[in-house]
Amino acid sequence: MYKYFISISLFFVFVESFSQEQVKDSIFTKEKDSLMYKTNYGLRLGIDISRPVLSAIRGSYTGLEIVGDYRIKKNLYIAAEVGYEEKTTAEYYSNSTSKGNYIRLGLNYNVYKNWLDMNNEVFLGARYGFSLFDQTLNNYTPNVSDFENGNYFPADLITASTTAESLNAHWSEFMVGLKAETIKNVFVGFSISYKVLMSVKEPEDFKTLFSPGFNRIFVSNTGFGFNYTVSYLIPFSKK
Amino acid sequence: MKKNISILLLFIVIISACEKDDFCIENPVTSKLIIDFYDDTNRETLKKVERFSIIAVGQPDSLFTNVSTESRISIPLNSLTNETVFKLKKNTTTNGAKADNLNATFTITYDKKEEFVSRSCGFKVLYSNVEFSSDTNSWITDFTPTIIINLDDQTAAHVQIFH
Repeated sequence: MYKYFISISLFFVFVESFSQEQVKDSIFTKEKDSLMYKTNYGLRLGIDISRPVLSAIRGSYTGLEIVGDYRIKKNLYIAAEVGYEEKTTAEYYSNSTSKGNYIRLGLNYNVYKNWLDMNNEVFLGARYGFSLFDQTLNNYTPNVSDFENGNYFPADLITASTTAESLNAHWSEFMVGLKAETIKNVFVGFSISYKVLMSVKEPEDFKTLFSPGFNRIFVSNTGFGFNYTVSYLIPFSKK
Repeated sequence: MKKNISILLLFIVIISACEKDDFCIENPVTSKLIIDFYDDTNRETLKKVERFSIIAVGQPDSLFTNVSTESRISIPLNSLTNETVFKLKKNTTTNGAKADNLNATFTITYDKKEEFVSRSCGFKVLYSNVEFSSDTNSWITDFTPTIIINLDDQTAAHVQIFH
């Protein structure tokens, strides 16, 4: 009998839920704030200025990178980088040069809350990267080192260079960076990125040690990079 | 929270920069020839060579001298040629009578090919069709095998020399 009491009381659970509708208050409707700070939307184009500097300082490196992004939402940008890099990697037992082009495509998400109409960014980014390149093995010395016996037999430097053409690499990239509007519509930015290689076409009898856009490929197929950019915003609209 | 994510990402980047692929930890990179010395009469017993020294023909110095503690030696091959000739020297003492400078010639011929190992280790030399021969009338009475296909494994002896 008690069992039915409890069951019947369950019906009233639903009855209760209808009883709490609030009376609409017509006096305190929230007025929309008429003072809105608008910022520019548009295409931002620039170059990585660290690369020409590195090219000038280091004889083993030549590079150029053009960066661009397009604002699609308040905090969201479509971003891309295209570039060319040539790098000679000198190791103890080999010397090789990689050269080619790359593109990185992805999104930047701005996590920085701007004051008033300021337009600065602290962003988190994700990229997909792709590169097409050649790698030349300039020279190498077979590793016959034998420390126990003090390198008993000598080894020759082999200078017959071999080039592996049309190699490619795909990778994903996570980045964190900042951009500051220094002059109207001119931005200075810095970012660092962590890259994870998805696939790479290796040359025969050798290995891809450097991929343009990816930089040095570490043993665990990861890499990292940085960017120091100056860019100009071509404003399309204000929102 | 957002700040934490940035710091975490930065941390990952810094950590990832500290990789340990700058050092070649393979030793040796190019395989060496491992020889075990056995007793001639009791063929399953290892036997040290007394006051042993070894020199490659054409080299100014001995590879090692006066080794009498080990019955196993590992020797490098000359990667610039297809043949390495070693002179093995044994100095025995039998019943107090010293027999110095017992010589033996051990010739190794092989094919070679380079193979890439890693960024820090570079290329190793892969020896194949390694053939052994020894001069007759020396303290080396026998050896086995006379040929090995690939000189690769560095855990076991490649050739056994009886004396």
